[in-house]
Amino acid sequence: MTVTRRTLMGVAGAAAMLALAPSVQANDYPEKRVTIIVPYSAGGATDVLARKVAEGLSEELDETVTVENRPGAGATLGTTQAAKARPDGYTLFMGQVSSHGIAPAVYKNLQYEPLEDFEPIMHLITIPNVMVVNKESPYESVEGFLEGAQSETMRFGSSGTGSSIHLSGEMFKARTGVDMTHVPYKGSGEAVPALLSGDVDVMFDNLPSAMPHIQSGDLRPLAVTSLERSEQLPDVPTLDETGIEDLKDFSAQSWFGLLAPAGTDEEVVETLSASLGKVVSSEDFAEFADTRGATIVGSNPAEFTDFIETELDNWKTVVDEAGVTVE
Amino acid sequence: MMENLAIGFDLFFSFENFIAIALGVCVGVLVGSIPGLTATMAVALALPFTFNLDPVTGILLLVGVYKGGVYGGSVTAILIRAPGTPAAACTLLDGYPLARKGQAGKALTMALYASCIADFISNLALIFLASLIAGLALAFGPPEYFWLICFSLTVVISISGNSLTKGVISGLLGILISTIGLDLVYGTQRFTFDVFNLMGGVSYIPLLIGLFALPEVIDFYVKKASPIAVKGADRSRVTLSEFKKSFLSIIRGSFIGVILGTIPGAGATAAAFLSYGEARRTSKTPETFGKGEVEGVAAAESGNNGVAGATLIPLLSLGIPGDVVTAVILGAFMLQGLTPGPLMFQENISLIYAIFIGIMLSSVVLFVSGKFAIRYFSKIADIPRHILLPIVLMFCVFGSYAVQNQMFDVGVMLAFGLLGYFMMRINMAAAPFLMGFILGPLFEDNLRRSYLIAEDITIFFRSPICWIFIAFTVISLFIGIRREIRMTRARKASAEEATAS
Repeated sequence: MTVTRRTLMGVAGAAAMLALAPSVQANDYPEKRVTIIVPYSAGGATDVLARKVAEGLSEELDETVTVENRPGAGATLGTTQAAKARPDGYTLFMGQVSSHGIAPAVYKNLQYEPLEDFEPIMHLITIPNVMVVNKESPYESVEGFLEGAQSETMRFGSSGTGSSIHLSGEMFKARTGVDMTHVPYKGSGEAVPALLSGDVDVMFDNLPSAMPHIQSGDLRPLAVTSLERSEQLPDVPTLDETGIEDLKDFSAQSWFGLLAPAGTDEEVVETLSASLGKVVSSEDFAEFADTRGATIVGSNPAEFTDFIETELDNWKTVVDEAGVTVE
Repeated sequence: MMENLAIGFDLFFSFENFIAIALGVCVGVLVGSIPGLTATMAVALALPFTFNLDPVTGILLLVGVYKGGVYGGSVTAILIRAPGTPAAACTLLDGYPLARKGQAGKALTMALYASCIADFISNLALIFLASLIAGLALAFGPPEYFWLICFSLTVVISISGNSLTKGVISGLLGILISTIGLDLVYGTQRFTFDVFNLMGGVSYIPLLIGLFALPEVIDFYVKKASPIAVKGADRSRVTLSEFKKSFLSIIRGSFIGVILGTIPGAGATAAAFLSYGEARRTSKTPETFGKGEVEGVAAAESGNNGVAGATLIPLLSLGIPGDVVTAVILGAFMLQGLTPGPLMFQENISLIYAIFIGIMLSSVVLFVSGKFAIRYFSKIADIPRHILLPIVLMFCVFGSYAVQNQMFDVGVMLAFGLLGYFMMRINMAAAPFLMGFILGPLFEDNLRRSYLIAEDITIFFRSPICWIFIAFTVISLFIGIRREIRMTRARKASAEEATAS
């Protein structure tokens, strides 16, 4: 077989084409519909945010962005599916405190690695949890609650084992040493009525689901679980501010961010990050976040990676202290 | 109120709102009638279209899709024994036998009448009694819920077919399968055998399709011909006497639906089966149930449609979604910057009235579009089985896959198809299995929650609601078992007579 000049040129050309292929792909991105996997059912906080982001991204990328709900097993099913998706930029994932904070600390045989299997794009928003009691409750403050807990066993409701609402309660319990029984429900929709009717004494609910009941006066907020006060509840102290030594630096928040499967082209990640930056800085998104008591973060991929690392460490400590395990 | 109503009318009367309701109901009926595509999925799929609509238009579109979807679920349950939604599994108990007798039109029409009446009653309850019965949602704690589930489980007697023993075994098997997945309290894995896809439990849509639709297909190919072929040229209609006979069941079913709809998490499936059980219990001819009794279709459909309007009661008055569909609708409200709950009645009362007016109209739209659809849907029953069944099989596979886009669910559907076929061959009813599967986790969760709350058995007797459901459970068990014993004796006597002669 003789190798002609034309053949060599052809091979060289093909090699050059191949070498350039990823950047060509990235330049043309996106060419088809983009999907955001949400590891919860439609209608929840993660889903609502994902749909809002999808709406904004659709405009920025000039391509349809849809949401796909893959609920189950405390968000780990959908997260695993996203981790195993093709890293072509057409499958993204709406990560949150459960998938990339709590679950890795709680589940022993998790099928994904939170950082190795994902390419963080942007930390979008943070929502504080709020410690709330029923309006009939005798407790007006965290101190009063702790005093009451000396003489009786408290019950705290949650939206399910391993949720941020559950682990905020566990964190409070571990720090203060109070005797509290965890009563899990299936979602806030079932847990909030239990608090309203007095079946449970306290809850560390996400601010958006507790807010309407706080505004109507049915629930009394004792403290927020973030390090800074919520703009929606300016008169409510943080747990850190209560002056109780055990609760110093107490921080347990729900957060949400967009990720892609590991191996996604760097330029695609940059394109998405830039587009997301425009989405979260819009007036529309600011209003969306404001009505939910959420703080917009809008970090870059490197900052988001650092944040996830810190969160993984924090929740591991909480889980170890509280002794929460899932086989 | 009149002033608010007038503003509500002003807000409602627009071309877009009429279109939203009509389109929503039609799309809902269509999607709901495809096995595997549930009302929940239809509403979730419609959600993005509401982003750029007015709040009233957007919400009405979703409510229309929801209501259409609930009715649509009954269509394929009646025609091809493949329930579009779990609640429609009860409708097939009598609907499918009617279709096999060549009376698909009658079954579909009765389902429509019952659905629309129940829907209307449910809407009235939503509008006039919302604040009054919203308290029900809060009055139901774990122990009250526990007894409600106990009462619901007694319905197994009504849907056990010819053998109560086999019915109970079927129900227990359903409960056993429902324990697969993560434990609620400790999060430990149960019966997952390290299969990752089982961590979230067995998906109910593939299970439903496998259990009910697939055995028919397998049976056809095993026997090479269906023993009872569907008769063509269906001209059956609901007669006035049939309607009169079923009317009381429809009203009772509607109220059962309204009450269960108001309690978060109780669900349309339990309402349909409870309504069916009550209809059979009070019937003068309970032995005709399960064999093509038009009253059975009426009871089941009124039960599950009665839930549709009522689930909006805790959502609008307390901000608490009653089920997954209302959780999606809650999401739509939030996307519009509105927060359902007590404050909404103070701050957005005209908007609520506009939605109420639209919801009332949706019952009328459902009736008209249903009437129109039945004309074409009923023709499905005329398709020869050797052509229809491969299409059913395709729907089974597609519907199971569509739930989570994974082949694992198709495997689940096939496995439960084989189980369903085995149960069919040994004359074991599949409906109690479904009841056990759906109610089992609610039974267990509420039992355990009650203990966690009180660590004392007296919590199970803490309120009048507990005692009411304890009484219902005992009475239902007593009457049901007595009736079964009598019917077994009667069957034995007639068999002995036949042998003697």
